[in-house]
Amino acid sequence: MNDEPHNLPLSSGTRPRLAAKARVQTDKISGKLALLYPEGVLLLNPTGAAIVELCDGQHTFQEMVTTLAARYKSSPNSLSSDVAEYLDRLRERGLLELISEEDS
Amino acid sequence: MVNTPTMKDTKDTGHAEVTSQQKPTSSPQSSVPRPFGLLAELTYRCPLHCPYCSNPTQYPPTGAELTTEEWKRTLSQAGDLGVLHVLLSGGEPLLRSDLAELVAAAREAGLYTNLITSALGLTRDRAERLKAAGLDSVQISFQADEASLADSIAGTPSHARKREAAKLVRDLNFPLTFNVVLHRKNLGRLQAIIALAEEVGAERLELANTQFYGWAFKNKEALLPTRVQLEEAERIAAAAKVRLSGKMDVLYILPDYYGDRPKPCMNGWGRRYVTVNTVGYVLPCPTASEIKWLHFDNIRQHSLAWIWAESVAFNRFRGTAWMPQPCRSCDQREIDFGGCRCQAALLTGDAGNTDPACSLSPYRDVLNRIVDGAQQLPEGETPSSHTTDLQYRINPSHSLT
Repeated sequence: MNDEPHNLPLSSGTRPRLAAKARVQTDKISGKLALLYPEGVLLLNPTGAAIVELCDGQHTFQEMVTTLAARYKSSPNSLSSDVAEYLDRLRERGLLELISEEDS
Repeated sequence: MVNTPTMKDTKDTGHAEVTSQQKPTSSPQSSVPRPFGLLAELTYRCPLHCPYCSNPTQYPPTGAELTTEEWKRTLSQAGDLGVLHVLLSGGEPLLRSDLAELVAAAREAGLYTNLITSALGLTRDRAERLKAAGLDSVQISFQADEASLADSIAGTPSHARKREAAKLVRDLNFPLTFNVVLHRKNLGRLQAIIALAEEVGAERLELANTQFYGWAFKNKEALLPTRVQLEEAERIAAAAKVRLSGKMDVLYILPDYYGDRPKPCMNGWGRRYVTVNTVGYVLPCPTASEIKWLHFDNIRQHSLAWIWAESVAFNRFRGTAWMPQPCRSCDQREIDFGGCRCQAALLTGDAGNTDPACSLSPYRDVLNRIVDGAQQLPEGETPSSHTTDLQYRINPSHSLT
């Protein structure tokens, strides 16, 4: 597990990926997307789910923002900081790995 | 093993704007909350003899353990009820030869599967079979940073095997939680314990101060830390948390004997967690069977859904309506839920009293006397200088079935 870049700043070419310990599934009770990890669970609302579903190690941060902006008919500029903040909270919890441009 | 595994609250205030939270429910009559976590105590058999064992002080007969099919049915019912996490615990769950089959059943039921283990018996073959069955996460208990102290606490040679097992767990890419129960004998080793957790590659470190009920209560004189020890430990843990941020999640669980407010035990009775013990009793917390007058129902007679929603035991201390003063009018009542019912029963004789760990409890002096008695060390003694005063736990036979 030496390939985990933990504390990289989020730049437009960074590719976020859910940490190996986290997985998502649909919650039977609420129908929401549940993000499961060793110490707990987050039930995501549609916006959170849309962000997390793009954390696949394929999409760059820039691509995520563009995709979300199209889906929510918003401008990428206005969404960018909200998405970055959300991703940062996931990273703080160890739920997200950030793959830098150089690594990919 | 076993210390009580900690299931952190599923309420995540930091994500309030982008996650949906279930609102706490105060009145069971209007709506019963859903459980998020199941503690499955698969067996009380265990190779260790820890003096702070949190399993019940009296064991049910080993031969009456739930069968594979009964556990599979329980896991399936848990998934249908909304449970998202299962802690496969014990005793030592590896002593169940059907463990991989139960992991697979839990995954099929939609549960995130956590193995809570001493790691004794975790061979490569076993670990690979658990991986193949879908096991998500492993927690290994350690007793100290080095073998002589660790083995004298566990009451059996085990430290070296735990280290090997931790390496194996990381080799197989399981997320690893390193758990250590802290007390008078090992608090002085905290710095080295943290270093060991780093060395074995743990993603998470649980520094859990001993909770004094059950077997630990019998050993309280030997295990209660001094204030000086705790102040030093808190300083070390806080520094480690900062230093290791982003690398290893450090969780320091405060000893409630030294706090002002009680712990929010199980995040509220019958609110988020459910325990099923080895012989099928369904409990609001793993030590609830110590409340002798309360009737608990069994998964062999009733469904998990019925027991959770309708049974007397789960509704007895659910919400806030049961609370006496000072809890009833306290602005913390939806935060700590009056603390721990088992501790109230143990120290005051009535599970319905405010937990004496609260400084507002009329029974606080019971706890203070115990704490005051722990501050003096006989001349020449350091807290960890000997372990001859420990009463070890004698567990049911740990032969494989």
